[in-house]
Amino acid sequence: MPLLELINVKKNYMKGETVIPALRGVDLLIEKGDFLSIVGPSGSGKSTLLNIIGCIDTPTEGSVLYDGTDLSDLNDKEKTNYRKENISFIFQSFNLIPVLTARENVELPLIIEKKFNKDEIHDKVTRIIEIVGLGDMADRFPRELSGGQEQRVAIARALVKNPLVVLADEPTANLDSGMSEDIISIMQKMNEEIHTTFIFSTHDPLVQKHAERVIILRDGLIASDERKNNGHAD
Amino acid sequence: MGTLIKIAWRNVRRHKRRTFLSALVIAVGLAMFILMNSIMTGWDRANIDNLIELSTSSIRISTKEYADDVESLPLKYGLQNVQELTTFLQQQEYVAGITPRTQFLGQLSNWEETIPVIGQVVNAKTDPTVFALMNYFEGNYFSDEGENEIILGKGLAEEMGVQLGDYITLYALTKYESRNADEFHIVGLLNTTDPNINLNTIMITYETADGFLDLEGLVTELYVSVERRVNYNLFVKDVQQLQSKLQSRFPELQIDSFLKIASGFLKLTEQKKAFGMIFMLIILAIAAVGIFNSVLMSVYERIREIGVLRAQGMKRGEIVTLFLWEGGFIGILGSILGLIIGCGANIYFVLVGIPLDQFSGFETSGIPFLGRMHGEWNIGAIIFVFLFGIIVAIAASYLPSRMASKLEVTKAIRYV
Ligand SMILES: Nc1ncnc2c1ncn2[C@@H]1O[C@H](COP(=O)(O)OP(=O)(O)OP(=O)(O)O)[C@@H](O)[C@H]1O
Ligand SMILES: [Mg+2]
Repeated sequence: MPLLELINVKKNYMKGETVIPALRGVDLLIEKGDFLSIVGPSGSGKSTLLNIIGCIDTPTEGSVLYDGTDLSDLNDKEKTNYRKENISFIFQSFNLIPVLTARENVELPLIIEKKFNKDEIHDKVTRIIEIVGLGDMADRFPRELSGGQEQRVAIARALVKNPLVVLADEPTANLDSGMSEDIISIMQKMNEEIHTTFIFSTHDPLVQKHAERVIILRDGLIASDERKNNGHAD
Repeated sequence: MGTLIKIAWRNVRRHKRRTFLSALVIAVGLAMFILMNSIMTGWDRANIDNLIELSTSSIRISTKEYADDVESLPLKYGLQNVQELTTFLQQQEYVAGITPRTQFLGQLSNWEETIPVIGQVVNAKTDPTVFALMNYFEGNYFSDEGENEIILGKGLAEEMGVQLGDYITLYALTKYESRNADEFHIVGLLNTTDPNINLNTIMITYETADGFLDLEGLVTELYVSVERRVNYNLFVKDVQQLQSKLQSRFPELQIDSFLKIASGFLKLTEQKKAFGMIFMLIILAIAAVGIFNSVLMSVYERIREIGVLRAQGMKRGEIVTLFLWEGGFIGILGSILGLIIGCGANIYFVLVGIPLDQFSGFETSGIPFLGRMHGEWNIGAIIFVFLFGIIVAIAASYLPSRMASKLEVTKAIRYV
């Protein structure tokens, strides 16, 4: 069974009287361990698609099945729970909590999850901070970090609870190419080692180059869906 | 929970100026309430003290018959057991003084006009142990010279056109209801603004009254003063205890405390307290608007952050809690600050006080004050207002907090 299944997903936004179709019938299967990039021109519906998969937005029509459960059957509380347990987000603008240190930002999802005790949280956070290469910056506040470092914290925060899916909306758009390369390789490493599923939207050719599977969206529809055989091996 | 508190606290600290200003409004409301409460309590206390010292005493004892007919101040219903009462009272704790008085109706005349007056027959020796009229005298108190001496309210003297040292004629009915008149030497004037005392009252001694009214030592009222206590409630308790002891020992007598004698005035005091409460509520309402605004700004500034927390699976309720804590912290800071300012300033009012001549023309009981008025500590009110400040702050944060929790996650994340 696929991890995620989108069936004829449509999303209309209303702008006054006019209907803006952001997604116009998307069918998509996502397997566990996919390292998938969604590309397409601005306004093609990439963010909308990610938000719907991430359960922070609801489709106007169609359904999203997660391990066989239809997300549209869930009420608000259940959706919140579903996000808490399965999904992590990485945002274009990092969105760290400014009053928390890097370490505290990374701890936050575990604290929200309320599944682990203090020691467990400490161990998990320390490990993930090492992996993203921020060991010596753990006690800095976001304003004391560079953009690339902030995004690493955001990745650590996304990965620390070991989610099934990480959704990243243009994670490298605010970074220079060197930093982008770093960020992508960290995500790739996590994907290889613990098979976390990554879905990211991007305009960045560099990111696309590393993706194993590239989906092209055009006007709210999937224009192509290609899987590379050897992914990032080149 | 700990993390929510941490985030809330750090945000409160982060916006130091905003926090300070919002907290300051609460602090001002609190401090003003504490001071107003203290001064009003002190003011009322000064009034009550004056009332007790000048006209009601702590406890008044008479026969029931006399009490029923008190309007006409009859000279028929004397207390039979003054000696027994006095002995009993002297054995009680906290009794500071006991004095008899006999009131009668009379008329004062200067050959041109005649004015009805209330006569007070007093015991020149013991009267000052209960009543503090001494402080309000012009001239002398009663001497032992055997002459007919009289003390008049100053207003009365002015109306009659007489002065200290003059002689004046007093008419009255004796105990046996026969008319009598005599000349009295004015030895003192009582200068109070209480119209009852100032315009209507004359005083003579029992020695004089024996001849003038055929009184034969008849005492219609016995006044008792109970030692003053700093704590008004304890004082009231002392008085009430003494009253009930007296009542069970002398069930046939009418025994009233100042609480009953001055009930009209005391009721007025309560109304003023309610007014002070409303005043504080208005200030705290202003403070509530300040906090509402502060938390609302906090919410607006952190819309994206709220979106991120929600995307991470934070519940709506937890978002509400987060912002309630922010308001709560501002409330706690404001309340602590208010407590410090209010109590600090109150130390001055309690220890140093306010000179009362500043208030002349503003007397509520009609009795002028001497000396200074002091603020009072009212621990109950202080604790109440401290908690109230915090509760108001949290309540004021509720609406913006809920608003924060209702934000749509996708819009919140996009928000710039
Ligand atoms: N909340 C909204 N209200 C109205 N219209 C919206 C809303 N969100 C998205 N849209 C519209 O839906 C369409 C798809 O938007 P979306 O943000 O998904 O595009 P995108 O592919 O992510 O674009 P970009 O590359 O610029 O981020 C656009 O036409 C956009 O204007
Ligand atoms: Mg987008």
